[in-house]
Formats: sequence, structure tokens, C-alpha cells
Amino acid sequence: MERTCPACGTALNSPLVCESCGELLEPEPGLTPFAVFGLEPAAEVAADALRKRLLALTRRTHPDFFGSDPGARRRAESNTAALNEAWDVLSDDIRRANWLLGYLGGPDEKAERDMPQSFLLEVMEWNEAVEEARAAGADTDATRTLTTLEAELLAERTSLVTRIREGLLPLPTDTDRLVELRRLMNAVRYLDRTLHEIAELRLSHASSR
Amino acid sequence: MAYSNKVLDHYNNPRNVGALDKSSQEVGTGVVGAPECGDVMKLQIQVEGDRIVDAKFKTFGCGSAIASSSLATEWVKGKTLDEAAAIRNTEIVQELSLPPVKIHCSVLAEDAIKAAVEDYKKKNIKAAPATTEAQA
Repeated sequence: MERTCPACGTALNSPLVCESCGELLEPEPGLTPFAVFGLEPAAEVAADALRKRLLALTRRTHPDFFGSDPGARRRAESNTAALNEAWDVLSDDIRRANWLLGYLGGPDEKAERDMPQSFLLEVMEWNEAVEEARAAGADTDATRTLTTLEAELLAERTSLVTRIREGLLPLPTDTDRLVELRRLMNAVRYLDRTLHEIAELRLSHASSR
Repeated sequence: MAYSNKVLDHYNNPRNVGALDKSSQEVGTGVVGAPECGDVMKLQIQVEGDRIVDAKFKTFGCGSAIASSSLATEWVKGKTLDEAAAIRNTEIVQELSLPPVKIHCSVLAEDAIKAAVEDYKKKNIKAAPATTEAQA
């Protein structure tokens, strides 16, 4: 990063705060989640290092340290929020992939929505299994079947996430691969919805006991 | 956001919920999904000659998605395949007074009709030459 701190002149490692003198900086608008951490867009992030960086920077930007000066406090709030938002995107494989796909000019889920009939039929079956278990109630065969289905869906999700991560290495630019990645992410979306429904049903069964 | 009375009516009393025999030659099946929200919709038509004589649907989704597909099954019954495929989502939006955030539900229903018609046509075009190929 070429910028230097306007207060002390030290070379900056973060667009949000000078780690040498503690000066809060006003970031340029439209910082990418990667740029917030002083990184270039990349398929993978080193999660442990990134978490340490988040904590180190938050110790410098936390609004509690700027209680007396309203202007500085607002800046601290907005810079801390920027850090948290960037962390949320970068630390989650799917959210990071989703951001990268947009950055690389890939289609969003509105532009690329075609899924194979066989897959959608499978999604119908998952939903029917959830519906059946909901009607049958707790401690029934239908509900026990759901536990098996949940394990299968979680395994499928793990394998989809692996394929998405591999598909981003190196960052693709050709349309076919970007479309393929969007389809994989769409599949995760359908899976997540069913997994969410199963979790909700389990909660309602637990509370009705 | 409030649902219109027509949406509530279809949601509370969905028409034509169920399934037709997917393997039947007279049945076309369309399954579509909305990746934005994970909704899935299955719409089936039973065809005699060129006319849709029965329709069934099953939708896992929000009230608007259920209402859109319920209405779609009502509308396609009695129509020819081409007439059914010509149904536009904007007509569904208008009939159900869907708000802008729910327009994608009507798109899903339009796509489901088209997919069912396509499936039926594919089945019945394939069926004829298949025998000739088998003989060849």
C-alpha cells in the first residue's frame, strides 16, 4: 500500500487506521472486503491470520476508545463496521465465493438460474420429506428419516463447497467456469434452505415435548 | 408487507394441489426453482389431443409462490398447449396484485407452465421417432 499516514507520515498497512500513531483514516469509498484488510482479491484467505488482523485492527478502531470526540467516534464506528462486514464476507467460503464471482464479472443468481430437472426433483423430494416429518410429529419414522437426510445434505454441502473453492483456484475469467460456479452456489442455496427447515422443525419438535 | 385477498385465498385454499403420473405419456411435468430464495415448484399438465384437461401443482415456497402456481393450474386447464405457454407472468402479477418484491414468484409460475408444456412436447415428439430408430 502506497499511502502514508497524514498525521505521522508512516507507511500505512490499513486503509482504516494508522497502526503507528493510531490516527483514524477516512477510507476511499467502495473499498472491497479484501482491500479493507490490505489484501488483493484471492480465492483463499488464511483464516487464522485474518482473524488476528481483525482483532489487531479492531483494537485500534473500536468506538469505545473515541468516546470524547463525536467526530472521531463516528469515524471509529464506521471503520469498525467496515472491518466486521469485510470479515463476514471473507471468512465464509460461500459469501467470499459469491463476492468473488461478482468481482470477476460472473452471473448472479437472477441471471443464471437454470438447474438440471433431476436436481430440482431431488429438492422437491427433500421438501416432501420435511413436510411428511412435520405432519408426523416428533419420534416418528418420518422424523428419523429426516436425520439421515440431514447428514446426506451436510455431506453434499461439504463436497459442493470444496468444488467451489477448487473452481476459484486460480481465479477464473472464462464465462463457462463462472456459470458453473454460480450453479454450484445455487445448489448450496437450495441445500441451505432445506437444512434450515430441518433445523426449525427439530426446534419445534423439541419444544413440543 | 400485506398479501392481497386473492393471494390469501389461493394460499388458504390452494386449487389443484397434488401430482399426476409423471411417467404417463399424456402428462407433462415442469419443475422450476428460484435460487434467490430456494423455492421449488412442480407443475404438471394432463393433455388430451392438444388441450390441457387437468393440472396439478406442488410448491414449497412463500404465499405468493403458492398462489401463483395455484392460479397457474386454474388458468391452464382447458387451454391448448400454445395458449398455456403464452401465459405471461405479468398477468399473474396483475390478477394477484403481487408487490414488486414478489414478481419473481410469478416468473416461477410462468416458467413452470412452459417447462411442463416443453416436457409434454418432448415426450410426444420423441415417442414417435423412437420406434423408427429402434427398428433401424
